[in-house]
Amino acid sequence: MKQTFLGALGIAIFLAAWEVIGRTRLLGISWPPLSDVLEMLGDPGRLPLFERALGATLQSTALGYLWGTAAGLVLAAVAHLAPPLRRGSDRLAAVLNSVPSIALGPIFLVVLTRESTPAAVSSIHVFFIVFVSVSSGLQRATPAHRDLFSVLGADRLRRFWRLELPAAVPSLVSGLRLAWPAALIGAIIGEWFGAPRGIGILIINAMQNFQIVLLWCAVLLAVGTSLFFYGLLTLLERAAYSKFG
Amino acid sequence: MEAKRPLLLRLVEDYWGVLLLLIAWELWVIANRFNPIVMPTPTAVLNDLVSYPQVYLRNVGITLLVAVFGLVVGMLVGTGLAVAAWFSPIAAGLLNPLTVLFSSVPVVALIPVIARLLGYDTSTVLAIVVIITFFPSFVFASSGLRSPPPGAEDLFRVLGASRLAVLARLALPSAMPNLAIAFKLAAAHAILAAMVAEFLMGTTGLGYLFAKTKSDFQTEQAFGASLVATVISAAAFLAAGWVEKKVRERYA
Repeated sequence: MKQTFLGALGIAIFLAAWEVIGRTRLLGISWPPLSDVLEMLGDPGRLPLFERALGATLQSTALGYLWGTAAGLVLAAVAHLAPPLRRGSDRLAAVLNSVPSIALGPIFLVVLTRESTPAAVSSIHVFFIVFVSVSSGLQRATPAHRDLFSVLGADRLRRFWRLELPAAVPSLVSGLRLAWPAALIGAIIGEWFGAPRGIGILIINAMQNFQIVLLWCAVLLAVGTSLFFYGLLTLLERAAYSKFG
Repeated sequence: MEAKRPLLLRLVEDYWGVLLLLIAWELWVIANRFNPIVMPTPTAVLNDLVSYPQVYLRNVGITLLVAVFGLVVGMLVGTGLAVAAWFSPIAAGLLNPLTVLFSSVPVVALIPVIARLLGYDTSTVLAIVVIITFFPSFVFASSGLRSPPPGAEDLFRVLGASRLAVLARLALPSAMPNLAIAFKLAAAHAILAAMVAEFLMGTTGLGYLFAKTKSDFQTEQAFGASLVATVISAAAFLAAGWVEKKVRERYA
């Protein structure tokens, strides 16, 4: 109870400091008061602009999230079932994760379309996190369990479906939670390479045209969306841990 | 201790995925007859890398310096605040929800805001790297400080250790493995974050080299810059993994 109160107090102090710094122009005109930003966000005239941008970004993020999760799951499963491939797939994932996302943009632009580049960049981010968390999750089944399955005559594949995969569910869900902000970042960066609309476009345009309040609005939208889904996924994670943990 | 495998076998076993990717890229570019401006082959990129080492070296130096300095400052600030939160429950209560809030924020979205606040120069790149490395170190250090071996804290209290002695002799050592994980997460991201910031603001370093050569249609050099960043970042990740293992053996 005391912790909740202190936490709320911490956030309140942060928001109040934001407003005061903005009102007093302590950090110059680049730091607008919170109330100005919220006012613009609530302005009905601007609603279509924000709706279009957010809709496009969410669509790319969701697509990238799905593709990245699928790819991460498949590679982790393959590496788990075929041990000789394991080291190589670890390295592949580490290297893919190390490619700068701004370099991924131009590559996907050639392979795909301008519209699908954000989703593709986002899927690479998600792929790595899901791959790492699933790989470690698949090893969580204890030797005793494995022996039991072997004794009862389960073959390799059955052991995978009935034992190892369920044991990996909690770490998969943790990975999914961490992957969401990464997916959003990927979509935003991907949009910089000529996507027709989206939060990333809004951020870049506002930054280059000195529309400070609009820039903060776009950032707040990205942050709010990220937090909302992160919260949802945290709830999912708790449920997964109590069922499979 | 595993037996020494022949070099070629080791290369194929460890890097089959990466090799496959590079070969597929090369064949794909040749098969489609892409103009090098649109998409160069990996060999062309490598060729450029060898032909103009001084251009790359200068920019790598700048980016690396900013990334390493930012990584160190970010980890120090993160650990410092975690220690402050460990000392005072009030500070912990105030800080914890805020950091959870911020660690789920897409930091890239903040780069333009920070750039507007601090100006378009290298100090902004540094600030961004500090912010990116701060969150994992605070989160991991906090949880590490609060999970010493069971019973150890009671023993320290019984023996009359001061709060400071408990911190130096018990809490910090038991937080070391966690800090090593934070280091591994932050090391690879530090260089990539620096590069995104440089790309956006067009100041100096690898990100600037990428942006400039891309708009001048020197695509080979743009991809060369990315290749260098990839290798450094992957090496940082693997090296940090090694450090993490050593720290875990020493402190766990």
